[in-house]
Parts: sequence; structure tokens; C-alpha cells
Amino acid sequence: MGEGLGMTRKDAVARPVMHRTRMCAALLAGALLAGCGGGNQVEPLELQVIRAGQAAIAKRTAGAPPPRPALTRAALNTVEVSALEVTLERDDVLAYLLIDDTRRDSSPGKITVWRSEDNLNVVTRNGIVIATRGLGNDIISSSVQVSGDSPGPARGGDHVQMVRALDNKAVPIPLACDLVDMGAETIVIVERKHPTRHLQQRCEGAGGTVVNDYWVDSARGIVWQSRQWAGPGIGYMRLRRLTTG
Amino acid sequence: MSIPFYSGSGGVPAERPAGRSVDPSAARGGLWAAALLCIALVAASFGPGAARAQTGTQSGSALDEPVQDDAGNLPVSPDEPTFKLPYTPSLTTYGSPGLIDMPSAEMLPEGQYTTTLSYFGGQTRFTLTFQPTPWMSASFRYTGIDNWNLGGFSTYYDRGFDLRFRLKKETRLWPEITLGLQDFVGTGIYAAEYFVATKNFQLPPVGRNTLPGRLKATAGIGWGRLGSYNPLGTTGFRPPYNPNATGGEPAYDQWFRGDFALFGGLEYQPNDRLSLKLEYSSDDYVTETQTTSVFVKKSPFNFGVEYQWTPRTRIGAYYMYGSELGISAQIQLNPKYPTRPLTLAPAPQAVAARPSRNSNPAAWDESWAASRSRVLGLADRLAPILEEDGLILESLDVTANTAELRFRNLQYRSFANAVGRAARALAQVMPASVETFRLVPVEANMALSATIIRRSDLEALEFDGQSTQALLAVTGFADAGARSETAVVAPGLYPDFAWALTPYFDPAYFDPSQPIRMDVGVDLGATWRPAPGWVFAGKIRQRIAGNVKDGRSSNSVLPHVRTDQVKYAQYDTTLNNLFGAYYWKPREDLYARVTAGYLEAMYGGISTEVLWKPVGSPLALGLEANYVVQRDFDQRLGFQSYSVFTGHASAYYDFGAGFLARVDAGRYLAGDVGATFSLDRYFDNGWSVGGFFTLTNVSAADFGEGSFDKGIRFSMPLTWFLGQPSRKSTGTTIRPVQRDGGQMVHVPGRLYGQVREAHSKALSDQWARVWE
Repeated sequence: MGEGLGMTRKDAVARPVMHRTRMCAALLAGALLAGCGGGNQVEPLELQVIRAGQAAIAKRTAGAPPPRPALTRAALNTVEVSALEVTLERDDVLAYLLIDDTRRDSSPGKITVWRSEDNLNVVTRNGIVIATRGLGNDIISSSVQVSGDSPGPARGGDHVQMVRALDNKAVPIPLACDLVDMGAETIVIVERKHPTRHLQQRCEGAGGTVVNDYWVDSARGIVWQSRQWAGPGIGYMRLRRLTTG
Repeated sequence: MSIPFYSGSGGVPAERPAGRSVDPSAARGGLWAAALLCIALVAASFGPGAARAQTGTQSGSALDEPVQDDAGNLPVSPDEPTFKLPYTPSLTTYGSPGLIDMPSAEMLPEGQYTTTLSYFGGQTRFTLTFQPTPWMSASFRYTGIDNWNLGGFSTYYDRGFDLRFRLKKETRLWPEITLGLQDFVGTGIYAAEYFVATKNFQLPPVGRNTLPGRLKATAGIGWGRLGSYNPLGTTGFRPPYNPNATGGEPAYDQWFRGDFALFGGLEYQPNDRLSLKLEYSSDDYVTETQTTSVFVKKSPFNFGVEYQWTPRTRIGAYYMYGSELGISAQIQLNPKYPTRPLTLAPAPQAVAARPSRNSNPAAWDESWAASRSRVLGLADRLAPILEEDGLILESLDVTANTAELRFRNLQYRSFANAVGRAARALAQVMPASVETFRLVPVEANMALSATIIRRSDLEALEFDGQSTQALLAVTGFADAGARSETAVVAPGLYPDFAWALTPYFDPAYFDPSQPIRMDVGVDLGATWRPAPGWVFAGKIRQRIAGNVKDGRSSNSVLPHVRTDQVKYAQYDTTLNNLFGAYYWKPREDLYARVTAGYLEAMYGGISTEVLWKPVGSPLALGLEANYVVQRDFDQRLGFQSYSVFTGHASAYYDFGAGFLARVDAGRYLAGDVGATFSLDRYFDNGWSVGGFFTLTNVSAADFGEGSFDKGIRFSMPLTWFLGQPSRKSTGTTIRPVQRDGGQMVHVPGRLYGQVREAHSKALSDQWARVWE
């Protein structure tokens, strides 16, 4: 629950005088005095607001994050599990996710759960993003066109994302897609070349258009790199498979 | 460009502490609400969203709506689908959709909640408008008029309510037609009734300048104030405005009576941010310009320009009545479009899959269930996992095939969210043979409901394309029943002590000499729970500054059960409350409470309540009986001589579609007998806006100003502003005037609000949250 804060400021509240500046001082003192302790109980509203305010101020004053260290293959070679680099284009946020779980369910394809150190989740089915968690306005679930273990979309057709939006609802974002084979391309991911086929999924629906790109290695069953739209709340994300574990 | 949000998809009622809407703590919430609004709006103004909004509307057809995703995130690539805010009409100086001083027929989007502050010619209007349904809106207005100099007031303050009903929706050929009742209760200084029609026109591109635009033409016919300039005719007798009337009752005998006149105007929106307005006003401002001299009216024409500053804020400047400059600020919020998305971190752990029974039959062995130490070990492993997610393990009852988890939810406004996280925790810990999960949220010893989920369904459906609907279809909701004798009870939960030192704001509204008075200070509160169901709590309040004590004294002829607020405000250090309570479930579907002590600042005594609410029922029935004694003004331990038996029989009914009605019939604090009727519009995310009125056997004359008790109330969830999970809401109840008739005692911890949000309607309406 936290600890008592700023308990030494009692002098600020000694003498009640009705004056505007005093009123402000009083408010400030009240905020500084706030604290709580103990108990498996819900925190008071006022404290939650104050904490959120403090966090927001801290975030504003924290300054720019340290520059990202450049990735090297030598460093990646020490990673023993599958790793995925995810970039959210809208906010230019980058995260490294490690494989958390794989499984199959009654639908085709292999499900992979990726998890970042700060507990964000991205879930893929044969390399296609089908769910996110912890990003806000997350994709709850998706229906996608996959077949067997072949990476990326297997065909055109319906691509439906259920997005958490409006008033605690799962809002369907139905897209109708064509799949276009853009041919062979060799891509480089952190000093390593991958021969791939570039698949492009061109979708329409929900009042807009979406273009998803996948660079797939059918022989190994891997989507090495992709740029996928993850719903109106998140926008496009770029994914690169850094290691295969 | 944007997703037309299916209007039928939202707005079902759920989690809101309904029973607490008259909680005294709610009264001080208004300031928190205001503070949150400020934070949210400043964030919205200067965040990345603001920058985008200024560049985001270069394309699209004339009637295309502003492209704004609901969180204010950007950049959005030009053609990707976005969540946009719904198109909103601009507002008048009265806070209604319309031109400058004249209303239009437009309706706000369903659920829209607007705040308008306007000023011109010495007149300040502050209006809250809410649109609970697509075809009806209601407004509350507080007005200050300088240089009034009538009836002993130099500045005149007044409150008023408006109602607007859409009679016809706009079609390709027909305009939208709306009926409006302006200031229809109260002393009626702004009283007017009107029919108004508005038609939207899409402008064709002109020449090289292909600026698209929206033109809105409005024409109406008004009575009362809106029939005062250049009347066309008259329909019956309408008494002139009387500044000395007590008012408060609907003035239906005056509606659509007296002179009527035409008004109208044009609004041109060359783009999504700018409006130019022109109107012809049928309001002659007779009292303001002829009876007294608030301002000088020289012309019926008004001109204005408005600018959409941020997606939720609009500002306007006007030249009015040939003599005055006016300004307005309009803030529009929609509960369905939070200022920031709710981000739940950490993400849940994926539902742990069990080994297959064929390949690993040993894992499916059931003999573990006979070992008490194995079961205790499971509870020990479960508790920390739940705690990570803000849940507290109360008890665990397992057999070889079933597990019932009883837990406290400290964090999630949506119980579906809490249930989902609890289910994942069980899947992580339980041996493979446990197939059925019963998830029981507990609040103060009351098991609220049981959600029954098969573990195989959790495993099979987590990544299903329709995971939300699919899981709901195979989930059961039931009464939780009593805890089993064999359950493992979490150790160390009792006694539980917590304290908090928090600032408080305690406003008093609508004093004739000062619109808002305010006390601020700190509260030191503590809660002690010695055993399940028992709560002992108290709060000491230290005022630091304030002027509520300078307010006017009561002139009520009834016992002063609420109007001695000023006498109570004379003391700096007070015992706000100090009480003990016991909660329990006497039997299935029944919840009960006994509370005794200093219940609130003005009353102490004993309060008992029983509530019947089946998990799946939209109807709830309650009975509350209290014996209370008025506390001393100094709010220490003493009492005054006034005491009263007060209590109510209550019926609560959830109509679905976000409407909750409530009727309380019984005896009130002043000994008067009658009933309170209330209706609230709820949102699943915790927003609610509603109104109430109370009719008792106190005559209008004895009641005094306002004639009978009535008011509006709203509640806003913290998550909506902070984007973080929280169960707390802030809000307030506003009465146009506080009198002594129809008043209830404020008992902390009433039952209905605690119970309803964990029942099947709230759970299933918010089921999308179960996977989060």
C-alpha cells in the first residue's frame, strides 16, 4: 500500500486563514501529507489520484530514455530461446519479446505466445498477430487464414480482429483480404541474411484499408519479418524474428 | 477512413456503486472529478493527439467526420481504420446543441456528457448536458446575472433544468425536428418552449477552392422567452416572469402559452474545426433590458465564430444583440471513448495447458486430493499469484475434479476481469484432474456470485477467433452459496488494519451570495476488520481552510435535518464517522447488514438493511430500517435531542440498455412519508448519470424553495481518466437547493452497489474483459 509521505510538513497546516493563496497552500499540504498503510483493502480514491499524478510528473521529468544499444549477432547468439523484436510504429516503441509458450487448438496453425520483460504479450498464429495484451485497446482475439504449418496467411479471405473498445466491449473489425505473392526477397536481420518470399495481404473493411506484409521462409516454417496492423488502437507493428532458439 | 461505431453495441448497465450515490463521500467527489477533468483535458490538449488533430483533417468529403482515434494517439496512417469520436454538434450559450443563443434540432451522440461555460452581457451560464438516449437530452444550468438589482439581489443566481426530445430524425428530405423545454422547473427566468427543425446540407466544391463544408439551417418557433421578440401571435395566457416566486414544480400550465415567435439561423462549418454562426434571435431579454438594465439590446442578430481547439474542447466568440461580445467554452466527453485506453499491465499469463492424459497419465492421478497437506500447498502457491494481479485469496475448496476459489477483488472495476485472472491462476496451480472452476468474488464476507468455468474450455478457447462469445456460451453464473466446511481458509487475513491520510474537499453549492463555498483539509481514516464480515471504521477530519461556515443559516420550518450545514461547518477538527458494521448472507440471494455508531457528520444511530438479489435477476428488493439521532454541531461524541425512525422499502430494476430505475418508499429524516424515484443511465465502464426526485407529505409551502427534493448525480470511474485499473469512482450529487423534506440518512456501505456489479448481467455484459 505504500508509506506515509512528507509527515514533517505539519507546520504548513497550523493556522487556518481564509485566503486564496492559503487555500492553495492547504491543497498542496494535503497532497503532500497523503499516505496510507497496511491492509488488504482498496486504496482511497484520493491516494490513487495523487499516485497517478506523481507517476505522470515523474514520467514527464524523467527525460529521454537511454539510447537503445545496437544489436549485434554476437550478442544475439547468446540468447538461447526464440526472440522477437516488436516495434509499434505509432509511438516508435520497441520491445524485445521472448517465447513464452506454444500450443495448438482446434483451429489450424501453431500458436506462439511472446512476452516482454515488462509483461507485454503478443500472440501469433503461424506468425500472424492474433492477440495482444498490455498495450491498451488490445486485440482480444482474431480469426485468420492459415493452413498447416505454413508461415503467414495461407490465402485471402476474412481477417477479423476483435478489439477491446467502446464500453468494455469486444468490437469486431472485419477485414476482407487479398493475398499477393510479391516474389522472392532476401532480407537481412541483424547481420544475418534470410531468403524469403514476400507475401502481401491487402485488406479492406471497417471504413479503411490495411496492408500487411510478411517475409516468410516456407521451408523452415518461419515468418522472419512482418509489418502487421494490430487494430485501430495500436496501429501497425513491425516484427522481426531475431533468434530461433 | 473511420469505423462507424455501431450504435447498438454499447451501453449496457453494470458496475457502478449505485447504492452509494447518496453517500456523503460522494458530495466531496465533485472536486476530484473536476481535478481529473483538468488533468485529462490538459493531457488531451498538449498530448500527441492535439498536434495530430491540427493536421488530421485535410481529406474527406464534406460530411466526413473528424478523424480522431479515441485515445488521441497518432500518427495514424491515412487510410487505416480508426476509432473516431462521434460527430458532435456545437453548443449554444445555454449548453444545448444549436447556434449562439438559439437552439437547433440536433441531438448529441448517445451518452455524450457536455459542460458549457458562456458569458455575454453580464450573464454567465454554466450548463451540464447529458444525452442518455439517442432521442432525449437533459440539462442542468447554473446562471449568474450581474447588475440584476431586483428582489434585493445585485447579482442574481439561478438554477434550471432543460429537456429536449427529438420528434423526427433527419432524413434525406426531412429536417430533424426537436421539441425543447427550457428552464421548465424552478423560478423559470429562462423558461421557454420550442419546436425547432434543422437540416444539414453538404456544400459542393466551388471553383478552384475545393474546401468541403457543412451548412446547417435551423428554424424554429418559440414560446416564453423565445416568443418575446416580434411575436407572430399568441396562444392563451402566460403569466409574466415573477422574480419572487419559489418555483420548483414543473410549470406545465404555462408551456406553449402566450406569445410565440420565429427564430432561426445558419451554421457553416468550412472544415472540422471551424464554425461560422449567424442567427436571428426571438428572445427580447425583456426582464434584463427593460425591467432592469443588465445590458442594452440593439439588434436581434447575433454572429459567432467557433473553433475546435482539441477533439473534446471547443471555444467560441460572438457579437450579440448589436452591443455585446460573448464567449463560450464547450467540453464534450463520451463515456464510451475514454481519454486514454485502459492498459492492464502486466499482461495475464497464458492459460497453462495440461499434459495429455494419454502421454502422462500420472499427472492426472487423483490421489493427491486425499492429502490435506497437498491441498494446503496448493493454496500457498495460489495466494502470491493472485496477489500479483490485485486479488486476495480468501479460501480454496478443492476435490479431485473441482476447485472453488473465493477471493477479494482490490483492483478491477470489471468483475469479469477479476474472474478471468483468478481462473488463469487456478489453471496455473491446480493438478490436471481439476476440471471445474468455481470463481467466487467476496466483498465483506458476502460471496457475491459464482462463475463456473470448465478448465478445458479455458484451454481450448483462449486463442479462438471468437474467444469472448465462445467462453460466455459455456460459462455458468449462480449464487455462490455458503462456504464448504472443507475449504482451506487463507491464514493471516484477519485482523486486518488499514489507515489512510488523504486530502478532502467539501463543497457547498448555490448560496445566493456565493455560488460555491468550499472547505478543504485532511482526513485521517482507519479501518479494522477483526473477523470475516466485521468492519470497524472511523474518520477524523481536520479542516485547514474554508468558507462553508460563512453560508446562510436555515429558514426551514421543518426540523432542520439537513439545512444546518453551516452550523456543522463551524468546527475545524471533527469526527466525521465512527461505526461498526457486520455483513452476512442469511441465505441464498439474501444479503444483510447491521451498522451502528456515528454514521455520518450529522447522524448517529443504528441502521439495518436486507437485500434480495438473485444473481440472474434484473430486480432487487431491499428493506432498510434506521433509528438515528442528530449529532452535536461540533461532531464530537455528543447528540442533540432530535431523533427519528427512518427507513425505506426499495425496489431496483435494471431495464437493460443501461437504465437502472429505483424506487424507495418510506419515512424520511424529518418524519415525512413518501417515495423517491430515480433513474440512472449506466455504462459498463463505470460512468453513470442520473436524476431523482422525492415526493412526501410535506407541502410545497413547508418545503420552501424548490417545492420538493430533486437533483442530479453523476459518477465517473478513475480508470477512464488514468488508464489504469482501479475500482474507484468519483462523482457528486447536485441539488438545486438543499432543504429538509425528503432527506435520507447517509449510511456507509449500502448493499446494492456492492452486490450488483458482480452479478451475471454485469459479468456477461463485460465479458470481453475476462481474457484481459
